[in-house]
Amino acid sequence: MTPVSSSVRRAQPLLGTFVGIAASGAPRDALHAAISRAFGSVADVHHLMSFHEGDSDVSRLNREAASWPVRVHPWTYEVLRLASELYEASGGLFDIAIADALQRLGLLPRVGADPPATAGARSPEPPVELLSRDRVRFTRGDVRIDLGGIAKGFAVDRAVATLRACGVPRGLVNAGGDVAAFGPEPYTVDVRDPRHPGRILLRVEIRDEAIASSGHAFDRVAGGASMAIVDPGSGRPAAAVRGASVRAPSCVIADALTKLVVLAGQSADGLLARYGASALLVPCGGDILVSHTWAQGVRSAS
Amino acid sequence: MNGWVRWAAPPAIVVSIAAPAHAVRYLSVEQAQKVAFPDATRFVEAHVLFTPADVASIERRSGQKVRARGQQVWRALVDDRIVGFFIVDYVIGKHLVIDYAIALDPGGQVRHVEILEYRESYGGEISNRSWLAQFVGKTSRDPLELDQDIRNISGATLSSRHVTEGVKRVLALYDTCLK
Repeated sequence: MTPVSSSVRRAQPLLGTFVGIAASGAPRDALHAAISRAFGSVADVHHLMSFHEGDSDVSRLNREAASWPVRVHPWTYEVLRLASELYEASGGLFDIAIADALQRLGLLPRVGADPPATAGARSPEPPVELLSRDRVRFTRGDVRIDLGGIAKGFAVDRAVATLRACGVPRGLVNAGGDVAAFGPEPYTVDVRDPRHPGRILLRVEIRDEAIASSGHAFDRVAGGASMAIVDPGSGRPAAAVRGASVRAPSCVIADALTKLVVLAGQSADGLLARYGASALLVPCGGDILVSHTWAQGVRSAS
Repeated sequence: MNGWVRWAAPPAIVVSIAAPAHAVRYLSVEQAQKVAFPDATRFVEAHVLFTPADVASIERRSGQKVRARGQQVWRALVDDRIVGFFIVDYVIGKHLVIDYAIALDPGGQVRHVEILEYRESYGGEISNRSWLAQFVGKTSRDPLELDQDIRNISGATLSSRHVTEGVKRVLALYDTCLK
C-alpha cells in the first residue's frame, strides 16, 4: 500500500487539562509516531514543572532551594530564566513566587509546613536566583514558586519543536486554550468570549505563531474561584480586566503575557512590543481593545 | 497609551457566533489500539461484567462511583503473548462527556491515556444519557471528520480532573478483575 499524506488529530489529559495535537502532510503512521513523541514532550514538562507532583523540579525547589542551590532540568532552568526576565521587565508584576497567595485563595493545595506569612512585605529583589550549571536558589526563605502561568505555553512550544524535529510539515498544539501552529497553511482558532463562555468572540488565523487567553471565564477552577491570576502586590485576584488574549511568536511568551495584560491592562503595551506580541483586552466594562498589530490575520466572524 | 485601539466587531456578529456544544472526535477504538500497541498482532475483546462484589471492590479501591455494569477490555497480543490491556471508559463532567482509552502494560502500569471523543455542553442536556451505548461498535470504517469543522478554541481551559478520577477507577478494575 502506498503511504499517502494525511491528517491526524489526537488528545491526551496532561498539564491538568486536555492537550490536543493535530498534524498533517505526512503518512498517517509517521504522524501518529510524531504525535506520540510530542505528547511525550508535554508529559516531560508536566513531570518537571507540576506543583502537585512531589518529585517534580518545582516541588524540589520549593522544598530545598531556600536552603541551598538546586540543580534542575535545562527546560526548567529555561522557564525560570524567562520568568526572571519577565519579572524584571514588568517591575515585579510577573511573579512566579505567588504560590502562597494561590494557596490562601484555595487554588493550590497546601503542602508541607507553611512559610511565615509575609503579605504586603514584598521585596523588589527577584525571588529566584539563577546560578551556573542549571542551578537555582531562592533569595528568601518564604518563596514558593508555581509555574502554572508559563509552563503550559512552554509545553506547547516543546511539542511543536518535537513535531518539527520528526519532520511534520504542518501542525497545531492546543493545551487547554494555549495554542501554537506551524506550517505553510494557517489554522483557524476561535477565541472564547470571557464574558460569555458559551460564545465565541472572534476567529483568528495563526501560522508560525501562538495565541493564549486568560480571564474570568477562561480559568474556571473547581471550587468556585473564578480566576487564577493573582496580583502579587495585593495577593488578590486581578479584577479590572475581564480577559485577554495574546498573540506571540512563541506560546510561552503568549501564555505569560496574557497574565500581564490582565494585571496591567493597557500599560502592558511596552511589554507586548518588546516580545513582538499583540493583545486583545476585554475590560470589565467598556470597549474591547486591541493593540495595533493584533488585527493582522484576524477575522471577526464566520 | 497610544498602543491600543477600540476593537470594532459588529455587535450583531458577536452575538450570533454561537458557541454550540463543542464536540471533537479524535480516534476510533481501532485507531487508538494501534497507537497504543503498534506491535500487537491482534486484540481480543472481553466484556467484563461486574458482580456486586467487583463493584464494591472497585469503589473501595478507587474512591469512585461505578456507573457501568461492565467494562470493555481488550488484551493486546503479539502472537499469543499478552503485551498489555486496552480499556475503554467514559466520564461525565459538569460540561463534558469524554470517551477515552487507557493502555496498560501487562503489570498494570499506565502507558498512556488517549481521548477518543469529547462533547462539551454548557446546557446540561447531556447529564443522564448513556454515552457508552453510542460509542460501542464504532470502528475505523466510520466516517472521520478530521480537520473538517473541528474548531480550535483559545480560552477553553477545561479541567481533566474527571479523567484522572476515571483512570483511578480503571486501575481499581484492573486490580479487581484482570490481575
